[in-house]
Amino acid sequence: MDQTLSKFIGALRNADIRVSTAETLDAFRAVELVGYEDRTLLKNTLSLVLPKTWDEKDTFSECFDRFFSFEEIGSSDSSSNSGESNPEHGHSQGNAQESEENSAGTQGEGNQSGGSGGQGSAEGQLEDHEHLPPGSLADASSALGQLLMRNDRSELTVQMAQAGEAAEVEKIVVFTQKGLFTRRIMENMGLGDLVHEIIDKGQSSQLPDRRLSRELKHRQEILREQVRDYVERQFLLHADHTGMRLREELLRKVKLSNVEHRNFRVIQEIVTRMAKRLITLHSRRKRVFKRGQLNVPRTLRHNMSYEGAIFDLQWKSTKVDRPRVFAICDVSGSVANYSRFMLMFLYSLEEVMSKVRSFAFSSDLGEVSETFSRYPLDEAISKTLHHYSTGSTDYGQAFKDFKKICMDDVNNRSTIIILGDARNNYGEAHAEILKELYDKSKRVIWLNPESRNTWNTGDAEMRKYSPYCHQVEECNSLMHLERVVGGLLYTV
Amino acid sequence: MPVKNIAASVESLQQSLESHQYICSKQIATAVYIANQLEKPVLIEGPPGVGKTELAKTTAEMLDLPLIRLQCYEGLDDAKAIYEWKYGKQLLYTQVLKQALEEVLSGAKGLAESVRRLHEFGDIFFSEEFLEPRPLLKALNAENGCVLLIDEVDKADHEFESLLLELLSDYQISIPEIGTVKAKTKPPMVFLTSNNTRELSDALKRRCLHLYIPFPDSALERRIVHARVPEIPPVLERQLVAFIQALRELDLKKLPAISETIDWARTLMLLHSEQLDPELIKDTLNVILKFQEDIENVELELSTLTQTAIREAERP
Repeated sequence: MDQTLSKFIGALRNADIRVSTAETLDAFRAVELVGYEDRTLLKNTLSLVLPKTWDEKDTFSECFDRFFSFEEIGSSDSSSNSGESNPEHGHSQGNAQESEENSAGTQGEGNQSGGSGGQGSAEGQLEDHEHLPPGSLADASSALGQLLMRNDRSELTVQMAQAGEAAEVEKIVVFTQKGLFTRRIMENMGLGDLVHEIIDKGQSSQLPDRRLSRELKHRQEILREQVRDYVERQFLLHADHTGMRLREELLRKVKLSNVEHRNFRVIQEIVTRMAKRLITLHSRRKRVFKRGQLNVPRTLRHNMSYEGAIFDLQWKSTKVDRPRVFAICDVSGSVANYSRFMLMFLYSLEEVMSKVRSFAFSSDLGEVSETFSRYPLDEAISKTLHHYSTGSTDYGQAFKDFKKICMDDVNNRSTIIILGDARNNYGEAHAEILKELYDKSKRVIWLNPESRNTWNTGDAEMRKYSPYCHQVEECNSLMHLERVVGGLLYTV
Repeated sequence: MPVKNIAASVESLQQSLESHQYICSKQIATAVYIANQLEKPVLIEGPPGVGKTELAKTTAEMLDLPLIRLQCYEGLDDAKAIYEWKYGKQLLYTQVLKQALEEVLSGAKGLAESVRRLHEFGDIFFSEEFLEPRPLLKALNAENGCVLLIDEVDKADHEFESLLLELLSDYQISIPEIGTVKAKTKPPMVFLTSNNTRELSDALKRRCLHLYIPFPDSALERRIVHARVPEIPPVLERQLVAFIQALRELDLKKLPAISETIDWARTLMLLHSEQLDPELIKDTLNVILKFQEDIENVELELSTLTQTAIREAERP
């Protein structure tokens, strides 16, 4: 049973619950204590040891139910099995057909799409519609046949699990493999012999043999359904999240302008997670910078042991000076998507960067901080884009506006992030305003979503602007964004 | 160091908690049971007022052990949590013992000789007598064990969390001048509570069992009210719980917790109420809701809420 628990923990890790080795050991000890008999008790116990946040507990509960649902499904099916169930199993019959052919030699790699296709000759013979009067059945000879006729649920379940293990069903990755694994498991359980028996007995002249053939066929279908269910559950347990992770990995690297709309939600989740990591990282570090007022009583008390000679100073802790970020985002068509994610990122970091002021422009610039504080992130972003993204880009005008709105608020602690491609439509660059910002602020960072080679081609003015930036970065994927924002927090 | 076994099974533990007026779900009883068996601390999270601290208190009562409580706050450090040297006493003693010191040092030639002689007397001034134990050290030194409650650990700083790690995993504390202090009798139970104002570190979580106490369902809440306010008429009890449960469905700043339910039940008993009605609720709403904004919001829907609660209570 220990293996079961290890596998369960594997499935939990797959579902993004971090389980350390120490916790695994705790889980084993706890299970030793309570045993596997009482399902609720087991669940209660494991939910104390393994998941460590409220979110994780939710996921855990789902995982647990899915993982240990095995036997319950087996027993509930046994009732429908014993009765006279209907022969409407067109699809699974087709599959039976397919794997029949496959086992005969034509191995198609897990492709079950043709399953419901034409009825083979063997099938035709099986599908005799002659009415067989109820009566005694012949004894089944194949191992699986005997097992099916005995109709022992638990034994079948055990066999299915063993076959599944032999077929390495936990390695299933994508859903198209479901058919493949179903077939492999059936074969491991002895499908070949069973099929032969069904065909042989079906052609027999003896009535009990033919009855047996039909009964076996029927039970084989039910078994197939169960195996498919089993594979389905295994897929959900083992593969669902691997696929998800793959997709996330891709999304982090993909150019933000190419992100499809349907993936925005996923991106937002990734952004939140990245932000969360930065927050934890940063909130640990901030203590290092902590210096404040002298704490007189505490200093005196601490130095009493040195006969009152004060050399171990104690400080009153003060709030850390958080970065004052001014984000100036180009939201014109070409860069809008990058701005979207940049804003998303900055506002997800609210906890460590409370003083973000953001500005959007394409030709005229305006402050949008208010919008972001009033509406949820999604809505604020779409409102901003809607409002400012008309008109052709004019960096010069934008800088002039910025100067008018808040040049006075910029001081030597401000960080200014400009996101844009610097394509100015051959307008006046007004780089002198940027120079002024450069002199006044702590840092000016320019993030350009285009690749470095194209920075100075056409109407791009990067050459004029870049001397007045402390840092110029190419930034077009989430990974880039994370690096830039992370760096921002580090150098505060 | 034998650990006091608190119960033979989860069920008996649940019952004995109940006999101390702490009505709990199976999950909570399981947590206490497993923690006791595995000798692990329990980290309890949940909204305020669901009985996190109460669980620790009741467990102490049940085990008939003293409860040592450390309330965490920002800026809490080892001097407040573990130990502090009694500087005054140290100073006083050096003054009083000046004479004795002179005797010890008499005849010593040069600094080296004097220092060597002083060394022979060891670290008298940094021994246990001069140590002022704070809650954590007290818990380790408790003769018959104790229940240690580290309350609202999320309010303390990160450093303090790290400070706890040694205690939580090995039930020991290292004091540089003395060495490692091990628990005399392992505390049978350590509880940590957190209101989730910030994320606790993984290292801390790893060392603890994690128990989340949510708001109770209506059946459990009724039992709790019944246990705490036994004189309440059954009709009122049902209506009251139904009303509170309905309130928790609303979008409020602070949802009423069990403690508020109990307070409210007591209030209604004082007013000799037999039944809920909108007027009565309106007058006592400030017992369960703690924000004016919430009160105003609820008052608007008071009559429908009351109707629903009364109907709900009539259901078998």
